Amino acid sequence: MSATGSSVAGTTAGLDLPTRPGGRWKSWCAVGVVVIITAITLSPQWGIAFSLDAIARNWQNGAEKILQLLVPDWSFFPRTVPALVETLQMAVIATFVAAGVSLPLSLATARLTNPNGASRSIVRALLNVVRSIPDLLYAAILVAMVGVGALPGIIALVLFNVGIIVKMVSESIEANDPGALEAGRAAGGNQLQINRATALPDIMPSFINQTLYVLELNVRASSVLGLVGAGGLGLLIDAVRTFYRYDQLSLIILEILMVVMALDVLSNAVRRRLV
Amino acid sequence: MSTVTIPSRRRDWRRSTAVIIVGAIVIGAFWSVDVNWARLGELPAQIVHYLWLMFSDPDWSKVPEALGQTWKSVAMAWVGTVIGILVSFPLGFLAARGFSPAPVRWSMRLVFAIIRAVPEIIIAIAILSVTGLTPLTGALALAIGSVGTLGKWGYEAIEGVDPGPIEATRASGGNIAQILRWGVWPSATPDFISFWLYRFEINVRSSAVLGLIGVGGIGDMLTSYTQFREWSTVGVLIIVVVIVTMGIDAISGAIRRRIVEGT
Repeated sequence: MSATGSSVAGTTAGLDLPTRPGGRWKSWCAVGVVVIITAITLSPQWGIAFSLDAIARNWQNGAEKILQLLVPDWSFFPRTVPALVETLQMAVIATFVAAGVSLPLSLATARLTNPNGASRSIVRALLNVVRSIPDLLYAAILVAMVGVGALPGIIALVLFNVGIIVKMVSESIEANDPGALEAGRAAGGNQLQINRATALPDIMPSFINQTLYVLELNVRASSVLGLVGAGGLGLLIDAVRTFYRYDQLSLIILEILMVVMALDVLSNAVRRRLV
Repeated sequence: MSTVTIPSRRRDWRRSTAVIIVGAIVIGAFWSVDVNWARLGELPAQIVHYLWLMFSDPDWSKVPEALGQTWKSVAMAWVGTVIGILVSFPLGFLAARGFSPAPVRWSMRLVFAIIRAVPEIIIAIAILSVTGLTPLTGALALAIGSVGTLGKWGYEAIEGVDPGPIEATRASGGNIAQILRWGVWPSATPDFISFWLYRFEINVRSSAVLGLIGVGGIGDMLTSYTQFREWSTVGVLIIVVVIVTMGIDAISGAIRRRIVEGT
């Protein structure tokens, strides 16, 4: 072939370029669909009426308010402490309870550790429904059920966490090597014994990992649950937002930031130990 | 030969201290929290009572309005995701090793971390003095929130790209745009599209609760009917939220699986 010769010479004139792979129209179709949906969602009659009018109108006093965020009101600090502590208490308790509830449930939703198809799909379907309801919605309904305070917040967080932990951990069970489980079965163990002796040690790292992750989520989530009356920092957020005290809001945000980042550093240290 | 020697359990003092510390924190939290645990006893009866109120006779006449409001929430989530993608995509490169200098990189990462630590609803409260109580506020809050996660996942995906094609593009004289187009984009696309879709799923959930502060959508409807204690309507709204979220999750999940498997 002359093509080899000419490409060595550095020209592409005689080069046999492979034909472009077909099916590029598919990606253009996808882009088209995205653009159309975006146009519809932005339009005034079908979507959210995207317009910059309001921003232009409110810019003057609004910007002033937002600038207040840069100057936290430090004198507000003593009042935030009890609320911050309550937020942390809610997060810790909910994580602990959710972890305890999730462990057996994750074993029940993985094929390897629960060969019974019927019970597995029932638990899975239930958890799918539990997962699709947002935590604040749980909190709003639970406040109506058990009254204002930390209790509805804790229960809402537990429901929200169980969905997450079980999904992640049961997926990691499925990814495990089934060899150990088979060995357990060959040694004559019943399913409970097999899970206890072989699956449990296997999933511990991923279980602890997910629990830490959920603790982080909880600190963040429990700081807003108070918006519906479920205790913690959210109660304060609700109070300062009605008075547009953005300097105080800024202090609360700063506190959440500090706690979440400290927790992040801590859990990263623990994770490194695990792996 | 019949005796079995069981290996002695490994003692690990670090593990024991960890267990003791965690135990102390948990017990401390239980002991100090201001909760009337007795109310927990009434909970099962209460749950049955309220589930009965919500689902025994759902007020189906509210379904059309609920669907309309849900669409508004989903539109909010979509717009938020699209803006989030447009902003986070270039920022992701600014935070990736090999594409930007260290000071820029670390400040970008700090910004992402700060955004991730703040719940969307607080972002919405912070910006609503400028944007007003409109769905636009919700969309912008979700967009800002999305930048935090998408930026992080973005630079992780970019750094995870096989350096071979990048070097090949550079060696054959490609400029920075060509390196991005031919060295990075082909191998990072599945990751990007996959977590864009995942973030959309998250935004759909968050948009449902943003209504709490009055920016519109299904959350607005839910809070007002919960406050009026019209449980037969709340039941319908929950059913709508669950079905729509699960439906969107299923569609988006199917697309993600196809993209990741490379078909």
